[in-house]
Amino acid sequence: MAQAARLATTLAAALVLFAAAPAGAAPEPDRRWAQLNAEQQELLAPLEGEWDRLEPVQRVRWIGVAKRYPKMTPVGQKRVQANMKKWAKLTPEQRKQARENYRRISKVPPEKRGDLQQQWDEYQSLPPRKKPAPAK
Amino acid sequence: MDHEAQFALRVRQQLNLGARVEARIAARLRAAREQALAHHDAESLAGLALADHAMGRIGGARGLSLRVLLPLAILAVAFFTTYAWQQTQRAAEVEELDAQLLSSDLPIDAYLDQGFAAWLKRRASQQP
Repeated sequence: MAQAARLATTLAAALVLFAAAPAGAAPEPDRRWAQLNAEQQELLAPLEGEWDRLEPVQRVRWIGVAKRYPKMTPVGQKRVQANMKKWAKLTPEQRKQARENYRRISKVPPEKRGDLQQQWDEYQSLPPRKKPAPAK
Repeated sequence: MDHEAQFALRVRQQLNLGARVEARIAARLRAAREQALAHHDAESLAGLALADHAMGRIGGARGLSLRVLLPLAILAVAFFTTYAWQQTQRAAEVEELDAQLLSSDLPIDAYLDQGFAAWLKRRASQQP
């Protein structure tokens, strides 16, 4: 049984070694609404009513988004809160599609795409025939 | 090296025949032998003891199974840790993307629209 103990020790050592690197980037754990701290509850307030019914993956993502709040501009923070409810109601496929479109739009150089809000308004005012067929 | 080995062989043969040496030389040989043994003890016996301890005083099939199982176990741990790390990285990327998307200057509808991104791209490419 001495070798079993040795095996366990070696395994534990290996685990510590391998786990040391990603420990810094460890994701936030899933939390029920009541388990969130005051700051998180304030930031995620628009989701309070539905929080405990969200998928665990989604909750972890929201906690991750809340963690990035301090890096956003005040306007950006307001936008996130305004968008929260709608984003949470989308299907996973719709969110995936939106992320994909966000990536594509971000790739267009800012000096060529101009003011995005203005472009979006213009696009919306186009008669349906002039809108391109959906990509892909 | 070959020459040395041959020489050692001859010396051994001579010694096996029984060396008749003076008492003084015999004493010096004995001292040299003891010194060599002491040196050997200090250097390699420690290593041997460590190796013996590490592999366990088990030997045979169980020693072999430990030798095979331990690297396999470490490999498995490494594999799962790498996998978990990649998942974590991917999750962090999506969180970052969501944070950017939700705080961007366009409404969510713009990103949900099937044609806007393509329209914007085509328009940008027409710019000088």
